[in-house]
Amino acid sequence: MSRSSLVQLSNVTFTYPGADRPVLKDINLTIYEGEFTAIIGGNGSGKSTLCKTFNGLIPQFYVGDFEGEVILDTMKTSDHSVAQLSRNVGYVYQDFENQLVRPTVMDDVSFVPLNYGLADYKERGEWALNITGLSALRNEFIWQLSGGQMHMLALAGALAMKPKLLIIDEPIAQLDPNHAKQVYDILKKLNEELGITIIVIEHHTEFIANYCKEVILMDQGELVWKKDVREALSQVVELVQRNIYPPQVTQAAYALLEKGHEDRILPIQMNEAITHFSPYSQRTETLPPFTTTSMAGKRELIRFHQMSLEYRTLKKERKQVLSNVNTSFYQDDLIALVGNNGAGKSSLLKLIAGIVKPSDGHVVVLGKETRKASPEVLSEAVSYIYQSPEEMFIDDSIRKDIEYYLRVRKIPDYELIVDKLLADFNLVDIQHQDGRLLSGGQQRRASLAIGAAMNPAIILLDEPTANLDVATKQQVIQMLGKLQNHVQTVIVATHDMQLVAEWANRIIVMNSGSILADGNRYDIFGDEDVMRKAGLVPPQILQLSRALCLAPPCFTIDEFTSRLDVVGAEGVQLELCKGYA
Amino acid sequence: MNYVKDMREKLNIEYVKSELIKTAYGGKETFLASLHPRTLIIWYLFFGIVPWFIHNKIVLSCFLVLMVVLTIMARVSPLIIVILCAGLLGEIGFLLLVSLVFGGGLASLLPMFWLTVKLAVIALASIAVFTSMDPERFSDALLSFGVPGQASFSVSFGYRILPTLVEEFQRVFLSYRLRGKAPETHGIFYWRTASYYLKLLVLSFYPLILNSAKRSRTTVEALETKGFSYSFTNAEVKKMKLAHLTYTYKDPLFLIGTVAYISFAFWLGTFIS
Amino acid sequence: MAKREVFQLTQSQKMMVFILSMSLYGLSNMFTELIPSLQLGPVELSVEYFAFIPLTLCILFHPLYAAIGASLGEIIFGELMLGQFGGIGEIEKFITFSLGMYIAGILVRNPLNRMQVGVAVMSGLIVHHLLGMIVDIGKVWVGVEELEAVKGLAESIIVIEGVAFLNDLLFSGILFALLPTLYLVPRLYGKIEPLLGMKPRNKDDRYTMKEIVTPRFVVIGIVLSAIAIIAEFLSETEFSFGEWEPDFMEMFGDWFIWIVIGVAAVIAVITIALMARKNRTQRSKLNNVA
Repeated sequence: MSRSSLVQLSNVTFTYPGADRPVLKDINLTIYEGEFTAIIGGNGSGKSTLCKTFNGLIPQFYVGDFEGEVILDTMKTSDHSVAQLSRNVGYVYQDFENQLVRPTVMDDVSFVPLNYGLADYKERGEWALNITGLSALRNEFIWQLSGGQMHMLALAGALAMKPKLLIIDEPIAQLDPNHAKQVYDILKKLNEELGITIIVIEHHTEFIANYCKEVILMDQGELVWKKDVREALSQVVELVQRNIYPPQVTQAAYALLEKGHEDRILPIQMNEAITHFSPYSQRTETLPPFTTTSMAGKRELIRFHQMSLEYRTLKKERKQVLSNVNTSFYQDDLIALVGNNGAGKSSLLKLIAGIVKPSDGHVVVLGKETRKASPEVLSEAVSYIYQSPEEMFIDDSIRKDIEYYLRVRKIPDYELIVDKLLADFNLVDIQHQDGRLLSGGQQRRASLAIGAAMNPAIILLDEPTANLDVATKQQVIQMLGKLQNHVQTVIVATHDMQLVAEWANRIIVMNSGSILADGNRYDIFGDEDVMRKAGLVPPQILQLSRALCLAPPCFTIDEFTSRLDVVGAEGVQLELCKGYA
Repeated sequence: MNYVKDMREKLNIEYVKSELIKTAYGGKETFLASLHPRTLIIWYLFFGIVPWFIHNKIVLSCFLVLMVVLTIMARVSPLIIVILCAGLLGEIGFLLLVSLVFGGGLASLLPMFWLTVKLAVIALASIAVFTSMDPERFSDALLSFGVPGQASFSVSFGYRILPTLVEEFQRVFLSYRLRGKAPETHGIFYWRTASYYLKLLVLSFYPLILNSAKRSRTTVEALETKGFSYSFTNAEVKKMKLAHLTYTYKDPLFLIGTVAYISFAFWLGTFIS
Repeated sequence: MAKREVFQLTQSQKMMVFILSMSLYGLSNMFTELIPSLQLGPVELSVEYFAFIPLTLCILFHPLYAAIGASLGEIIFGELMLGQFGGIGEIEKFITFSLGMYIAGILVRNPLNRMQVGVAVMSGLIVHHLLGMIVDIGKVWVGVEELEAVKGLAESIIVIEGVAFLNDLLFSGILFALLPTLYLVPRLYGKIEPLLGMKPRNKDDRYTMKEIVTPRFVVIGIVLSAIAIIAEFLSETEFSFGEWEPDFMEMFGDWFIWIVIGVAAVIAVITIALMARKNRTQRSKLNNVA
C-alpha cells in the first residue's frame, strides 16, 4: 500500500505502576493515514491503554514499565512531551464531561488552539462548533448543556486543532440512536472530507459495520488481529467467544449457514442482509397464537393524574418538562419508557420516587400522594436505581451498601437476606470490595442488588444498560428477570431497543414531555409513525424480519432463525416488502 | 469576625439556590463590570485597607454613601445585602450585650457603631467589586497581575466544575436519604432532624471524595492532551489570553472620579471638624 | 523514573490533589456558609467548616497542595461565587488555614495510626484558630478609635474572641474535623490512591528536608511578617490617633491621610508579591521534581 503510516508501534509492552501483569503485551501495529478503525475487545483487554500510547500519555503521564517504541508521524513518543505530541492528536474520553475544563462553550472549544498560541484560535473554535452543530450554543455555560451536547463539545474541542488523528473512546455510549447516528455521520465526514484518521473504541458492532473500514481486536493485552471490517465481523465464533457480538444480521446469517461454510464472508449491513436472506424460505409451521397482555383486573400501583412538571431556568423562564400526563401502572407490569434524550423519561421516574414533586396534578404511589410524602417514606415501597451506579455506593464495600437500608431499619437477621441477594446477583466473591473499583457490569449488578434489598413493590431503573458491552448487557437483562421475583412492577427508562424488545411487556413512548404511545412491542414497533416521531430505531433483527415480510415480525435472533429454512427448502418463498426493496 | 451569619433558615432554600446561581452565573452588564479588572482591583485595594485607619466620621460617612451608590449600581443580589446587614447588626448587638456585662454601658455603643460603618464600607466595597467580576474575570485579573497560570486556571476551573459537583452531591445525598431512615420525631429544637441531616452531609463526602478523585484524574490527563502545560512555555499565549481585557475611557474616568470624591470627603471632613 | 526512596508525587498527581482539595472543600464551604447557626448565649453552635476534607487529603497525599488547594477552594466557592468575597481579609484566613492544614499533614507519619492522626488534626486546628483569634483581636484594636477609653470594651472583645476560639476548637473542631477525619482516613487509605494512579503512602516514607523546609519556611515567614505588621500598626495607631489627632489633622490636613494610604498600599503590594512568589517557588520546586 502506498499510504503513509501515522502511528507505528513496535514491540510495545506496558505495565501500570504497582500492577503485576502487563496491560499491553508485545504489540506491533501500524495505523495508516486516512483510516477509520474500530478497536474492539472485552473489558480490561487494553483498548484504552493502547490508545494512550499513541499520544505519549503512556509512558509520559503514566509512569510504568514501558518497553518498545511508538512513532507518531515522525516523532518518537518517548522523546517528546504529551503536549507536543497532542498538537496532532485529538482525544475524546469515555467520561467526556471531565475533559471540559472551561466555563463556557466558546472558551472550551478554543482552549486547545489558544494553548498552542495560534492566533486564529477563535476562528478554529467557531469552525469546530459549526461542524458539530453547536454554533447556536457558543455562549452557554457547560453545565447548561445536555449530555449529548457535552459529548459533541468534547469532540469539537478535540477538532479545533484540525488534528491528523482523532481518538474517541466510546463515542455513542450514552446517546439515543438518532444522536448516535449524528455523531458517526460527523466522524465519517471528517474522515472522508478532511482526511482525518479516526480511531474509535466501540461496542456497537452495527455502527462499526456501517461506518468503520478496519477493526482491531484486543484480548487481554494482546493484539489478536487487525482486519478489514467485513472480514473482521464475519469471525462470528471468534468474536462471540470473547463476548463480542457482531451485528444481529450477521449473527443470524451465521446461524443459518450450512455446515462447512463457516468461513464465509457474511452480510454486516442491513441492505446486504436483505439480499442475503432473500433466497431463504419461511417455515410453514403455524406459530403459537399471539395474546395481548390485558390490563384489566390488575391492581393499580401508581397513578398519574393530569400531572405536569416545570421548572424555572436561570433567566426565569418556565420550562415545561412534562405536561398533562395521565396514566397508571399495574401489578406485573414490566414497563420500558422510551424516547429521545430530553423526552422526560428520567423526570417521570423521579416523580414516582418522590424526588421531584409535580408542579400540577397528582402522582399517587400505592395510595400515597407523593407531594405529601418525603423520599424516605416513599423509599419503603419504591426503589430508584440511578443511571450511574457510582452514586449509589455510599459505603466502603458492596456488602455494606446492600445492607445499609436493612441495617438502619434494624431488620432482624438482615445478614441472611443480604447473603441471598449476594448469591442471586452473583456478587459473593466481590462482596467486600468497594463498588467504585469494580468493572461496569459488576457495578450494575451491585446496584440492582442494592435496589432489591429495599424489598420494594416498585423498582425504577434509569438506563440500566448504558455503557455496557453486549455480553454484560445480556447479564443485566437476566438480572432484571430475577428482579421480577422480588417486586410487583419494574419500570425502566432506556434507549436500548434490544432490551425493550426482549424484556418489556408494556412500552410507553415519550416525546417532548408527553406520552406519545402506550402498548406492547407489536403495537409500538409496528407503528412506524410513532417510531419515527419519537426517534426510535427498532432492533436490527426486527427491521430485517419486517423487510422480509415475516409476519408477525421477529424480536430475537433465535426467533428469526427458527422461522427461516435453508435455501430451496419447502415453504413460503420470502419476498421483499414494498418500501424496503 | 463573622459578618455574615444567621437569618438564613428563614429564607426559602430554593430561593437561596437560585439567587446564588444568579450571583455566580448571571452575566452582569453593569458599569463596574465594564471596567478593566485591574482597575477594579486597584480601586478595591484602597477601599479594602484604608478605612481601617480612618477615624474621621465625616470621611467614613462619605465613603459609606459612595459604597451604597456603587452597590446599587452593581445590582447586588438583595439576599447578599440582607445577610450582610443581619450579620453586622447581630455582631454589634452581641458585642454590646457582653460589654454591658463588663460594665461598659451604652457608652461602648458609639465606637462600635463607627466600627460597624467601617466594616460596612469595606464589605460593600468588596461586594460591589467582586460581584461585578465573575470568577472568570477574576482569574484573568490574577493572571494579568502575574499569578502563575495554574493558580489562575484553578479559579476559573472552580467556576466550571461547581454545578457538576453540586448535582453529584445532590444525588449522593439523595442516595443516603432514599436508603436511610429519617428520625421519627424532630426532637427539641429539631435537634434530631438537624443532626440527622448534618451527619448525612458529612457522610456524603466519602463517596464524593472517591468519585471526584476518579474524575480529576481524567481532567488532569485531558489538560495534558489539550496542550495546557505547553501554554506556559510561550509568553505570547498569556498575551492572547488577556487580549480581551482592554482599557477604555471609563477606567481613568472612574479612578479620577474616585480620587476627586475622596479628596472632597477629606476636605469636608477637615472643614467640618 | 527510577525507584524512589521517599514519598513523591509527579507534577500531574500534585495537580490532581490540588484540584480535588479545592473543589471538594470549596463545595463543602458553600454548604457551611448556608447552614444556619444556633446561638446559645455566648456559645454559638455553628458549623464553621468541614475541615475534615483538606485534613484527610493532607494526611493521605501531599500536605502542601491539599492545604493550599482547600484555602483557594474556600475563596472561590465559599466567597467569590457567593458574592461575599472579603478581599484582603481573606488573605489572613488563607494563610492561617493553609498553615494549620499543612502542619496537620506533615505531623502524620502513619495514616493508620489513629492517635497520630488525632493529635495532628488538633494541632493543626489550634494553629489555625489561635492565629485567627490574634488577627481578629488585632482588627478591633486597629479599627476602633480610643478603644481603651471605653470601659469594658477591650475585655469583652477578648472574652468574645476567646469563647469563639474554644467554641470553634471544641464544637466545630471535634465534630467536623476530628471525628470525620478519624473515620475517613483509614477508609480512604489504600483505596483512593489507585484512583489517582499512585501508590499509597508507606508509613516508612519520609518527606525530604527540602520538601518540609522550603514551603513551611515560606508560609511561616509570611505569617510572622503579617503578625509583625499588625502588631506594629497596633502600637502606632494607638499612639498617633489617641493623642495627636485633632492637632495633627488641622496642621497637615489630608496630607497625613495620604501617607497612611501610601503605607497601606505598599503593604498590600508586598503581601500580594509575597503570595505570588510563594506560588512561584512551589512551581519551580514542582518542576524540579517532575
